[in-house]
Amino acid sequence: MEIDTYIAEQTFQIHLEGIVQGVGFRPFVYQLAREFGFQGWVNNTKKGVQICVNADAESIQDFYETLLKNIPKNAFVTASSVELVEREVFQDFEIKQSAHEGKTNILLTPDLAICQDCRSEIHLMTDKRANYAFTTCSHCGPRYSIIQALPYDRQSTSMGTFEMCPNCKKEYQNPSNRRFFAQTNTCPDCAVEMRVFENNSAITLAQNEIIPWLVERINAGKIIAIKGIGGYLLMGDANNLKVVEKLRVRKFRPSKPFALMFPTIDELEKVAEIQEDEQALLTSSAAPIVLLKLKKGNDSFEAIAPNLKHIGVMLPYSPLFEILSQQFGKALIATSGNISHSPIVFKDQKALEDLAEIADIIVTNNREILVPQDDSVIRFTKNNRQKIIHRRARGFAPNYFYGSFNTHKINTLAMGASLKSTFAWQTEQNLYVSQYLGDLESFDTQNNFQQCLEHFEKVLEVQPQIVLIDQHQAYFSSILGLQMAQEKSIPVVIIQHHKAHFAAVLAENNLLDTTEKVLGIIWDGTGFGEDGNIWGGEFMFYHAGNFERQAHFAYFEAILGDKMPREPRISALSLSHTLPEVEQYLKPKFTEKEYELYKKILKQNQLKTSSIGRLFDGVASILSIIDKVSYEGEAAILLEEMALDYLENHDFDFKEFYSVKIIQNQVQTTDLLQGIIEDIKAKKSVGFIAVKFHFSLVKIIKNIATQSKIQHLAFSGGVFQNALLVDMIIDHCAEKFKLHFHQQLSPNDECISFGQLAYFSLINN
Amino acid sequence: LGHGSGGILTNKLLESGVFKLLSNDLLDEKHDGAVFNASGKMAFSTDSYVISPIFFPGGNIGELAVNGTVNDLSMCGAIPAYLSLSFIIEEGLSMKDFWQILVSIKFACERAGVQIVTGDTKVVEKGKGDKIFINTSGIGTVHPKAEIHIKRLEVGDKIIVSGNIATHGMAIMSVREGLEFESTILSDTCPLNHTIKSLLDEFGTDIHLLRDPTRGGVATVLNEIARDSKTGINIHQKAIPVIEEVASACELLGLDPLYVANEGVFLAIVKADIADSFLHSLKKLDFGKDAAIIGEVVAEHQGQVILTSKIGGKRVVNMLVGEQLPRIC
Ligand SMILES: [Fe+3]
Ligand SMILES: [Mg+2]
Ligand SMILES: [Zn+2]
Ligand SMILES: [Zn+2]
Repeated sequence: MEIDTYIAEQTFQIHLEGIVQGVGFRPFVYQLAREFGFQGWVNNTKKGVQICVNADAESIQDFYETLLKNIPKNAFVTASSVELVEREVFQDFEIKQSAHEGKTNILLTPDLAICQDCRSEIHLMTDKRANYAFTTCSHCGPRYSIIQALPYDRQSTSMGTFEMCPNCKKEYQNPSNRRFFAQTNTCPDCAVEMRVFENNSAITLAQNEIIPWLVERINAGKIIAIKGIGGYLLMGDANNLKVVEKLRVRKFRPSKPFALMFPTIDELEKVAEIQEDEQALLTSSAAPIVLLKLKKGNDSFEAIAPNLKHIGVMLPYSPLFEILSQQFGKALIATSGNISHSPIVFKDQKALEDLAEIADIIVTNNREILVPQDDSVIRFTKNNRQKIIHRRARGFAPNYFYGSFNTHKINTLAMGASLKSTFAWQTEQNLYVSQYLGDLESFDTQNNFQQCLEHFEKVLEVQPQIVLIDQHQAYFSSILGLQMAQEKSIPVVIIQHHKAHFAAVLAENNLLDTTEKVLGIIWDGTGFGEDGNIWGGEFMFYHAGNFERQAHFAYFEAILGDKMPREPRISALSLSHTLPEVEQYLKPKFTEKEYELYKKILKQNQLKTSSIGRLFDGVASILSIIDKVSYEGEAAILLEEMALDYLENHDFDFKEFYSVKIIQNQVQTTDLLQGIIEDIKAKKSVGFIAVKFHFSLVKIIKNIATQSKIQHLAFSGGVFQNALLVDMIIDHCAEKFKLHFHQQLSPNDECISFGQLAYFSLINN
Repeated sequence: LGHGSGGILTNKLLESGVFKLLSNDLLDEKHDGAVFNASGKMAFSTDSYVISPIFFPGGNIGELAVNGTVNDLSMCGAIPAYLSLSFIIEEGLSMKDFWQILVSIKFACERAGVQIVTGDTKVVEKGKGDKIFINTSGIGTVHPKAEIHIKRLEVGDKIIVSGNIATHGMAIMSVREGLEFESTILSDTCPLNHTIKSLLDEFGTDIHLLRDPTRGGVATVLNEIARDSKTGINIHQKAIPVIEEVASACELLGLDPLYVANEGVFLAIVKADIADSFLHSLKKLDFGKDAAIIGEVVAEHQGQVILTSKIGGKRVVNMLVGEQLPRIC
């Protein structure tokens, strides 16, 4: 249609895609249209937001630009367009009913932490929402966790069952109110209600009595399980050693650190060092757990994070936590409510069944959680402030801001790995990476994984046309993927673990199309290799769409199944049993029987590994830091902490490293281990050796990179959650090489599902 | 056997010795086969024994071969009566070892109350066998009250294990690769037929299924049951009896006792309301004192076996596929 120059006013339609629902977008458009004096309408569709107005060519341009420049805080526009349509006459500007036709194509709004306005309201004793634990507005509140269908409307969330009181309805309909079209809006008159159970029996309390009562109980040393945004959290007095110990015993969690919730940044600053980037993240609408360094001389949280100088902290991200935290006034333990190794509990019934043995008090509420999510965990490296995602869940998932792999428009489902499970979707338009879904060893996690997958399919109305799985055929995710493919008669593609890691970090840095060569340094604990061995210390080339294993750490014996990663002493033995003089360090770690037995098993063994995860384990054990771990990654974390601590107290340019031979593209660990043993004999401190070990790894990377004459280095795998290692790599390699780390995703196996999509986009092109 | 161990022995010579030792009326007739009367519903079973080592703490391949077939028949609800016995012997097996095995067979038959009524012996060249292979087949009359079939499984049925699990497998493991443990673990190989008969006398059709979890252990058998019956099975780690030495030997090797082979142990799946009295009776019978109710048949998660761990988490007990690869990253 041509622009009709005789009629000044014509009808224009604007389309917006991205995170545009559940963030106050329609009210924002409404206000703006009013300011411009436009007539027309705005609505939500399954694709995003649609605006239709009468305007002249000049003012529509102005409107469009102003609109894009001033979008609501939590909105994110990925695509937008304006077009001239057939002329229509409108009387006023209105928010129209959502349109339910068409294909779903929208990013899902993540849960938004309580905003400043709502925070002020609940603390204002004269406000009707004073101390109301479920206060929300169009800028904050649960979103992804309560979504049932799209487009985003109250009826398509678990708020659908709540009737608004006249007052709330007024707010909802008033264009100048913050709660105009706020779908999660409630107040004490139409409240979301809590229920309290102590020792399995219901306690009768008025709604406004509950939090003060809980505070009293927490002060008395009780542990509470309380329903939050993505599931239940276990909370208790972080400064009460007895509470910490009680929780450890009840959770069968001897040493894994607990996260803490502080009432304010000020309280937090008393115990931990906070940099600007960390504060920004803590107070962002995602409000994740951030790993912070404890201030020197502060040992009041020794039991919270045994032997660690860093603790995971967060700020209250929901009004309920805000009120509770404020009234309690100090640090609260805030750890996922689950039985160890099981997924976070998010259904009330399950909480009453499963958490009763852990928590003295259980607090439910009748706003149903539909999508379980743990709290996200993020850390910054000390020197270079490189952001490292440890866990990506509440506040971030399931959106992935990438756009789309430029492949054929087929719906591709990637099943991910196992211990840190996620799934990823490439739909026709968008890319989604699910929240961290836990360890698929657990039956409940398997069920959760499956349910989240089904929920996702339902909400986005999408069905896979192809399924991607890991090469490890015993992973539940692989088995489920195969089964789904069989049922739906669609193809399955098997993708090697480390290639998926590599493809993930390449894609995150827009390197899939690069014509230059990239060296992938893919280091993790376990991934099934193409030669039937367990890979984990990999150097790979990427060139013009092809992956090639270039070098790897020399194989050592992988024995005793999952017992090996649980017991670093076994890695120590496997790595160094052939070295002279090592016996005196290793033997005391075993009983006579074990020692003889394992040496025999080592001789007969077939399965090999190049795992750096196990190398860290082995070194930690040789240094007598730890012989048996109680949580995954413990040995590597302790080794890193020892090294960081040493550097803290020895402020100089560290230059020492163990020289390592590379023979036929295999990095020999024997010299490295022999060097460590020499240093132990020379009575060098554990911290010194730990730093030297880290630096040696950087040297190895640098050597291989230099030899292969490659400019681009990309890093993936759980080993790169090690902040010191990442810092050292940047310190020593950034000058000569272009370094690429993960951006939105974790380097650990959470990125595998996304990597599978990335890999597939290459082989499919 | 063979050269260097007492001259050349022919099959014939051997057989006459075997015949003499295992002598009974039917065997003594020396027909090409055994001839006897039978009536009613019969059960018939066969198994070959190729275990290494042939002597292990608590037993040897001979008694294993007898007990194995006796137990397989018992699991059908039958009362074992007659067995066939065949040897495939590798040249070089010592006469002493062979006789020891034979004597064990004789005692095992007496203990179980069964007779060897027909048999065969072959000697193969060195390198074509592994010391000795034994095949036994057995026949027995089905207990009049027995109605044992996978289709009889009902939601709510209780799963009972008759004794400590994983003992036999760990006994074998302890000697196979020369992996000696703190204290010697003895195989629990034994004939279960008398125990089963007593239980069938008392509980008859309320016993829905009997299985002996030999190779692949309790985990494998329960998986087969869940798969074939299209029900779900729940088991509870706390309830599963394992003797301490065996548990720590498993821990030592990173093995799950649920996957380790058993011999003198059976699984019974019985109607829920008789489970307690079944357990009570079983505990007083031979080889039943350590029996325990370890789980139940459920309607959910069809085809899957779910273990509730000691700390309350739930884990899928998979059918073991190939070797155990590490999974932890
Ligand atoms: Fe990995
Ligand atoms: Mg058998
Ligand atoms: Zn708000
Ligand atoms: Zn209200």
